[in-house]
Amino acid sequence: MAYDPRRPNSGTSTPQPPPPPPPPPETIEMATTALEEVKPADEAGTTDSYKLKFCTVCASNNNRSMEAHLQLSGAPTAFPVISFGTGSLVRLPGPSITQPNVYSFNTTSYNQMYEELHSKDERLYRSNGILNMLDRNRNLKWGPERFQDWVPGMPRVDHLSKGDKGAIGTEGGVVDVIITCEERCWDAVVDDLMNKGSALNHPVHVFNVDIKDNHEEALTGGKAILDLANRLNEAAVAEHRVHGSSGWENGTGPARQSFDEKVPEILAEWQEKYPHLPALWTLAWL
Amino acid sequence: MAQPADIDQITQLNAARNLVLGDAAFYPQIVNGILPIVGANTRLELRRWGADFLAETFASPVLAVAQKEQLAPNVLQTIREILELPEKDTAVLQSLVQTSASLYPLVFRHIVKHPDDSKTWETMNAIKLVIFRQMDSFPCPVKICCAKFLQRVVQVQTPGLISDPRRPEQNETSLAVVPRNHALLSIPNLEAESSGLLDRLLGVFQEETSDALLVNATLNCLAPLIRTRQSIANKIVNAVLEFYPAKHVRPPFTPTVRVSVKSMERTARALLINILKRNPNHPMAGKMQMYIERLMQSRLEAPDDASRKRGLPTEPTDGLDNAKRARLNALTPPMLKIPPMAPGPASYDRLFTITEDIGLSSFDVKQLPFDLVLKIVVPLLTQVHDSTLTQATEAIRTRLQTITKEQNLQRQQQQQAAAADDDDDYEPEYQPMDAASTVSEEASAVAAEVADLQPELVSLGPFVLPQPPPLSEEEAGEIGRSAVARVFGMLNAAETSPAPAKNQSQQKLGFSRLAGSTFDRDAWSVLLARLATRAPAGLEEDNQNKTDSAGRRQTTISDSIRETLYRYILEDFRGRLNIAVIWLNEEYYNDRIKMKSAANQRAGSEEEAQPTVPLHYDTWVVRLLDGFLAYLDSRDIKVLVRFLSEVPEITIPITQRVASLAKDPERVNLCVQALMYLVMFRPPAREMCLNTIEDVYQTYEESQPAARKVLVKWRPESVVLATANGAAEEPPAAPSQPEAQPTAIAE
Repeated sequence: MAYDPRRPNSGTSTPQPPPPPPPPPETIEMATTALEEVKPADEAGTTDSYKLKFCTVCASNNNRSMEAHLQLSGAPTAFPVISFGTGSLVRLPGPSITQPNVYSFNTTSYNQMYEELHSKDERLYRSNGILNMLDRNRNLKWGPERFQDWVPGMPRVDHLSKGDKGAIGTEGGVVDVIITCEERCWDAVVDDLMNKGSALNHPVHVFNVDIKDNHEEALTGGKAILDLANRLNEAAVAEHRVHGSSGWENGTGPARQSFDEKVPEILAEWQEKYPHLPALWTLAWL
Repeated sequence: MAQPADIDQITQLNAARNLVLGDAAFYPQIVNGILPIVGANTRLELRRWGADFLAETFASPVLAVAQKEQLAPNVLQTIREILELPEKDTAVLQSLVQTSASLYPLVFRHIVKHPDDSKTWETMNAIKLVIFRQMDSFPCPVKICCAKFLQRVVQVQTPGLISDPRRPEQNETSLAVVPRNHALLSIPNLEAESSGLLDRLLGVFQEETSDALLVNATLNCLAPLIRTRQSIANKIVNAVLEFYPAKHVRPPFTPTVRVSVKSMERTARALLINILKRNPNHPMAGKMQMYIERLMQSRLEAPDDASRKRGLPTEPTDGLDNAKRARLNALTPPMLKIPPMAPGPASYDRLFTITEDIGLSSFDVKQLPFDLVLKIVVPLLTQVHDSTLTQATEAIRTRLQTITKEQNLQRQQQQQAAAADDDDDYEPEYQPMDAASTVSEEASAVAAEVADLQPELVSLGPFVLPQPPPLSEEEAGEIGRSAVARVFGMLNAAETSPAPAKNQSQQKLGFSRLAGSTFDRDAWSVLLARLATRAPAGLEEDNQNKTDSAGRRQTTISDSIRETLYRYILEDFRGRLNIAVIWLNEEYYNDRIKMKSAANQRAGSEEEAQPTVPLHYDTWVVRLLDGFLAYLDSRDIKVLVRFLSEVPEITIPITQRVASLAKDPERVNLCVQALMYLVMFRPPAREMCLNTIEDVYQTYEESQPAARKVLVKWRPESVVLATANGAAEEPPAAPSQPEAQPTAIAE
């Protein structure tokens, strides 16, 4: 399972089961890891490790959201992360465009999908990257979950025991940041949060990073999302520190600006760096 | 910095948290246990942890509401102490305000049930006061949570829906569940307060420069208010509709500002779409649509927003791609290719259409609002290249000249070819200016041909129209139907025409009016009904006699009118019930008259076979009833009763149809009430209806409570009542003879 006779450029990184190592180094990746290496060092002195909790969302909770899930949970900071799909069903490419493979959310595991497609036509699904993708996913968590069925605040302790990656920190079933991978999904998420009635009174930043649904774009997009996450987290940690033990009076000017206030600025800066991934943001409620 | 003891304590607390996350039953124990550890005056780490934990606890969907309510008083006290310290840490404040927002409905409900617990209510009010007083000076993240708290308070202190008055514990917490004489909660005061708070919440949309965070946070929490609080929904929607994010920012337009504007626009749009999705028939749907379109428009106007979209550069750059881009550029050099005018009859729009794109040329610009067109056209005109404009104008001029030339030519040819050709409407726009000359030319050109007719015209002798060729029966039917269709057209037109003037005249007319004197909808429907009933009376019998042997002939005119009337009424039976009544009365009257005349006829010629009179009333009343019964819902009692009381005659089939309503448990009452009405107010039909009620009573168990009351009052001797619920020993009494003969034979 660990080795796939895949084409060198099939697009998915191949995490080995227990500790997902960072995907093959690329230039952007180098930059972000370098950035990370600095941070934990100066962070270690202050609060243990304050981390934002993330949630990634795409249509089927398979490609883009899972790539981002991998990137966020596998980063040196190992963010708490959960992931969802907003579609009505999980749709994976089939032998032709009119014959997709369709599964239901919440009840089908990545492993089941993997086994089924493996037995159906290994060559096809290996060469279009589906099997590789499912293999990555089944090492990350049990199965695709539907955003609309998510009950925010419902404890997710069982996900921790199941060994889902990124489950540490999300036991409370609450997140601070949601990142969708398509405008349609952002619309669906914002709409659904309005429908859920915001019973938790917990603010959540909802971002969209528009990523095309293919393996290559998912990988670049995933890294860009990780970059965004790092920038956001940095601001959040800074806020914690400034207003924290060292006291409210110490910071001055922009340093005293809260994390929330910095979000539009952070996104704008991030957007300059990734002009090809149009972004969108709002502040919603869980 | 952190001492080992702290870390130890936090680890313990985390273990406790994991325990309750695993099993919510431990919450009461843990919450009461940690309160002293995390309360006011403890270290920051502990306060932060405590505030987070409390926020999580009272938001948790797994902890039962009753338990939360029980925990609330103690927790409130702690929150109050921390807030009044005063607390300075943003994170703690944020979590505490969140907790207060979750607690508010719980405490409110608790107070509704326990009017004597003034202490808890006082604590809650103190917290509320601190939050509202400091809201504006709080750091931004706390301010956002305060907005949410505001929303919660407004939601609680505005009357909501009472879903089931019998089970108060299931109702949502709102002002509607507060009893009028509550010792602590005064409804007018609370309502006044919430109205003020709503203004404060919506005030964010009127700020000179908007804070995107606060605006988005507010927009995103309004949906539940709009959905569940009818009384304030319109106010909120109006406030949103008047908010245009682009107007609330000041230059310079940094990337950050653009992100903010875009996010506010998209969030406002998401909110309105959410409302529209839930209720597509929202009274303000049109306004909302327009607002959404305007938002999109303003987004297009921001020029650098477009370049931000994933545009051309992201495309894989291969040879083909460049070729495509080159072609796009080729459009700009001002060399216009204007095709000759499209074939077919000339018209202004063909004349001025210089695009060959069918989609574009068939687009109706009138659909766009006027100001939008202005907005598009004015900047466009400034951008159009001079030479392009000249070219286009020149091309149109040439077209126009060709057309005029062609038309003159054609006209001359026509005049020479045919004299009687008077439908010269080829190009109506050009007629006025040519009319005079055409007439004179025509006169001279056709002089020869019409010479033989002229003397007669001049002398004005008796002019006899030539006999039209005889119509075949189908043709006659066809023409008849088209005439009927036109009358139906009038019916529709009259319906949409304004009413006030009509009402006036109607009132004046009173009894002395004639059926068709007012030219309103009723007049036209009377006309139609009579067309169907009286006009062909006496003709059909013969036809039927003749054609019965030849199988079913095509439907007669009157039947097709009836059919159309039938459909017309069913399209909107609630609104057109009066037409149905007019029609059925006409049918009934017509049936009587025909029966009478048939009887006379028979008396005159005893030996002849009994002339049968086809009766229509019974068929159509039952068809109509069948047609709309299926669509009646349980609240339509007025519609049904009106129909049943105004039709001229109740027959057994009608009562049976009404009885069939009882099949549907939801409409049992509708059925019984309608029958009861007939029993009470239509004495001739009373016996028949009582029989039907007995029948219903026996057949459908759900009807028994209601039906029993009627029977006890009106037929206390009924056998059915005696046998109670058991199967009836004897079949329901056969319906006695109804008040009028529903039979078709005139005996």
